[in-house]
Amino acid sequence: MSKDSVLRVQNVWKSFPSPTGGAPLDVLEDITFEIGKGDIVTLIGPSGCGKSTVLNLAAGFEIPDEGSLLFDDEPITAPSAKRGVVFQSPVLFPWLTVKQNIAYGLKLRKSDRNLIDEKCKEYIGMVGLDGFDHYYPHQLSGGMQQRVSLARVLIMEPKMLLMDEPFASLDAQTRFSMQQLLLSISEQLNPSILFITHDVEEALLLSDRIYVMSRLPGRIRHEIPISFSIPRDISLFSDPGFAELKRQILQRLFL
Amino acid sequence: MRQNRKKIDPVGFALPVLLLLGWYGMVEGGAIPSYLLPGPLSILQVMVDFANGVGKLTPYSGKLIANLSASLLRVIVGFAIAMAFGLLLGFLTGRIAVVKRILDPTVHAIRTVPGIGWLPIAMVWFGVGEGTTVFLIALAAFFPIYINTAHGASEVPVLLIRAGRMLGADKVSLFQTVILPSAFPSVVVGLRLGLGVSWAYLVLGELTGVTTGLGAVMMDSRMMGQVEMILVSMVCIAIMGILTDRLLLRICGWILPYPGGEVK
Repeated sequence: MSKDSVLRVQNVWKSFPSPTGGAPLDVLEDITFEIGKGDIVTLIGPSGCGKSTVLNLAAGFEIPDEGSLLFDDEPITAPSAKRGVVFQSPVLFPWLTVKQNIAYGLKLRKSDRNLIDEKCKEYIGMVGLDGFDHYYPHQLSGGMQQRVSLARVLIMEPKMLLMDEPFASLDAQTRFSMQQLLLSISEQLNPSILFITHDVEEALLLSDRIYVMSRLPGRIRHEIPISFSIPRDISLFSDPGFAELKRQILQRLFL
Repeated sequence: MRQNRKKIDPVGFALPVLLLLGWYGMVEGGAIPSYLLPGPLSILQVMVDFANGVGKLTPYSGKLIANLSASLLRVIVGFAIAMAFGLLLGFLTGRIAVVKRILDPTVHAIRTVPGIGWLPIAMVWFGVGEGTTVFLIALAAFFPIYINTAHGASEVPVLLIRAGRMLGADKVSLFQTVILPSAFPSVVVGLRLGLGVSWAYLVLGELTGVTTGLGAVMMDSRMMGQVEMILVSMVCIAIMGILTDRLLLRICGWILPYPGGEVK
């Protein structure tokens, strides 16, 4: 176990009560992994394999039945702005403008007004939304909304980003530009990232390490370290190692 | 964002103008006797006289402001009581399962008694007049406010709440910044319905024998055969209903401007 791990998930079990009153549904079985400082770790698995549940536990939205989740060596008991969550859908506050959405967390923290303005400008620029400050979410495309949801957690300078299939509902081009944005942000700010996806190429493009999960009840089947050079861009897709790893992971996902 | 000013659709005026002309023609032509339905012109004259007191056409000449303000005050007090209880209990029911289980069945049981059915017992409790009127308004307006607030509060998307929490919101700030604004359109619907029934129950309360108020004027006018005055009072209530509704919308839009125009 490395010393500088940011998130440590140890022997976590989780089940949910059956809605029909039958036996509870076992979702996670004995999940153990950890994420070091600045690591990008991806959980990949078939849909409904419990990967989002892992993220909800790490966020503090749910608590495990057994086992423990430690963040900075402290047990996770509730959500915290230190662990910013990007959901699959943008989940912006529809009554707030882009800027107000992004400023939301800092306002709760009662930060100085000028500081909030300054930082909003910085992060709106970082996600490429200059000039859209006063738009409302419904006036933006899905990709732009997801940029806002990224900016509103980044502005809190979280130690960790929890991303639950954040680009899954975007079209292919937008998804690719969002992946590039995430890589450049990760270079600039170096947060630890737990990334959930079912897209093998996305996992290979982004991760330092991939965990392959099984169908329900979810278990971690394989750990695959990824060592492509950084920065990663479109040329990665023609790397022979990329194709080989993709084949391996797909094989494991479907076996 | 500026609210879009609504363009007035001229087609909407066609039917009222036609009805007005028909009305005028029927009364002037003698098809309807004026003791049943006075013509629009005489109603307009009585209305102006009710407001300015120059013509002395009825016993209520110049007494518009006095009666209108008496009625308005009752509506405001009754509606404010309904709003206080409706919002408080509505939010509690909508957000806390235990409160809903305790409160909701009782509220809905009480609601099945039509508001008008409370009139006799209200008169026993509060006597004829002010107290009964305010009580009826508060009671009738409470239900739509309570129900819509509870609905809005219970329908706040879980993900919005999670988003607020992971950005650092505690219980209090979560209510202020997520639950309240998310439920707000529903709350506004409840308030508008509540204000609407407030005017209805105002008239019911005032018909029972208070000395001032538009409902009292109506009832007295009937006994004195002042048919114009009955209709004028009705028009006044309609106008006040529309004006207070617009004012409520303005205030709501000012408290929480919703994107894409006013809350509808």
